[in-house]
Amino acid sequence: MSGLSLGKKLLLLGLLIIVTMTGLHYSAGGIERFTPLASSLRDILSPIQRGIMIAGREISDFVATPARLIGLSKRYRQLEEQNSQLESQLLQFKEISEENIRLKKMLDFSTGLTPQLATEAAAVTGRDHGNWFGSITINKGARQGINSNMAVITPAGLVGRVIRVSENTAEVLLITDPRSGVGSMVQETRSPGILEGVAGGQGNLIMVNIPADLTPDRGNRVITSGLDGSVFPKGIPIGTVREVRREEAGLFKMAEVEPYVDFNRLEEVLVVTSFKLETP
Amino acid sequence: MRTLYFPALVLGFVLLQSTVLNFISINGVKPDLVLVLVILNGFFRGTREGAFWGFVGGILQDLISGGYFGIYALTNMTAGYLGGLGEGRLYRDSRLIAAGLVWVCTFGAQLVFYLLLLVVDVRVHVLTALTGIIMPVSFYNALVVLLCYGLFYRSHRQGLLGGGHY
Repeated sequence: MSGLSLGKKLLLLGLLIIVTMTGLHYSAGGIERFTPLASSLRDILSPIQRGIMIAGREISDFVATPARLIGLSKRYRQLEEQNSQLESQLLQFKEISEENIRLKKMLDFSTGLTPQLATEAAAVTGRDHGNWFGSITINKGARQGINSNMAVITPAGLVGRVIRVSENTAEVLLITDPRSGVGSMVQETRSPGILEGVAGGQGNLIMVNIPADLTPDRGNRVITSGLDGSVFPKGIPIGTVREVRREEAGLFKMAEVEPYVDFNRLEEVLVVTSFKLETP
Repeated sequence: MRTLYFPALVLGFVLLQSTVLNFISINGVKPDLVLVLVILNGFFRGTREGAFWGFVGGILQDLISGGYFGIYALTNMTAGYLGGLGEGRLYRDSRLIAAGLVWVCTFGAQLVFYLLLLVVDVRVHVLTALTGIIMPVSFYNALVVLLCYGLFYRSHRQGLLGGGHY
């Protein structure tokens, strides 16, 4: 390398950058399976990550809470989970109730849209190692029947969707990732919109393309719309409206949404392996 | 020795970043230990080796993440090169100077990352990128250097990361 002239060095550097940029361009096309090398690496690293994650969580709990309060901290977490489940159930009941009212109004058309979900539980083994993207790795993959574009939820609400799988792991794109887009609607006003992530690690969401005549209010609930072709079943709770403002273009409104799921404390998730729309 | 230990350290840091460092994240931002390693390596070894080892570390990160291939390689290569600009010009024995250098280089490298995101059509609002990611990561990395610079300094002088130039 030291024997090369400046021109040749620059030429080599240029070639290196071009080759890398080409790789970057082609890998941006949404590959649904990892490359064999990446797949093997992830399968090997997954149990190690899981071990470190569990140890880290224990240490974090220990450091964060005085030793005598550890039991209380665990109890609090159980109650919090229970509370999330109950809130989620309440939301679902409300959704079904509102749906029933609407359907009765529609001249006895009985088109129930209660989704039937089949789920697979998985543990979170790691998160994206950078700060720009929001993704998690789970310990279930192609061997356990997990495929790309499966929705991922917790009892509290929507988490994201599977974007890539290896034999024993899968990468889940969180709804907070800037690459994510979810068809959604406001439960109270029925305003449709698209829910987008803002930046990877932050728990901020923005709902865009809301029709100006269906402006939601602060505190309204946002759920998945489950329109035709969507990978997300209808009615999964996402969050509550925090603030509404006009989009830059001026035709639509946009809303900041506070998610129900605490993305920094995800431990277990449910992958929706299949769902169907029931038509009685 | 560095040929063996540098990739092992990158792998170890990636594992830490994807697991336990999330417990000390502030507003979703955690320190980027690989970037710190690459910048300090450049600071001690100069621009050429800084860029080379940055590229090597970045390629490893790209392979593990399985996402946009080359995005970390180009970012870390830039970071290593920028770190290398400080070699021979800045006083190495001061952790304050090292932290300042890491702040500047992290800022530059994260800007490159942001531009590469635009290339692959990932849009993050520029204000969110600056205030929500680039600045906080720069500060967090500088803080890590303030706390742990002694370890790296000793390792380069007489430890695992020591050894001749390539």
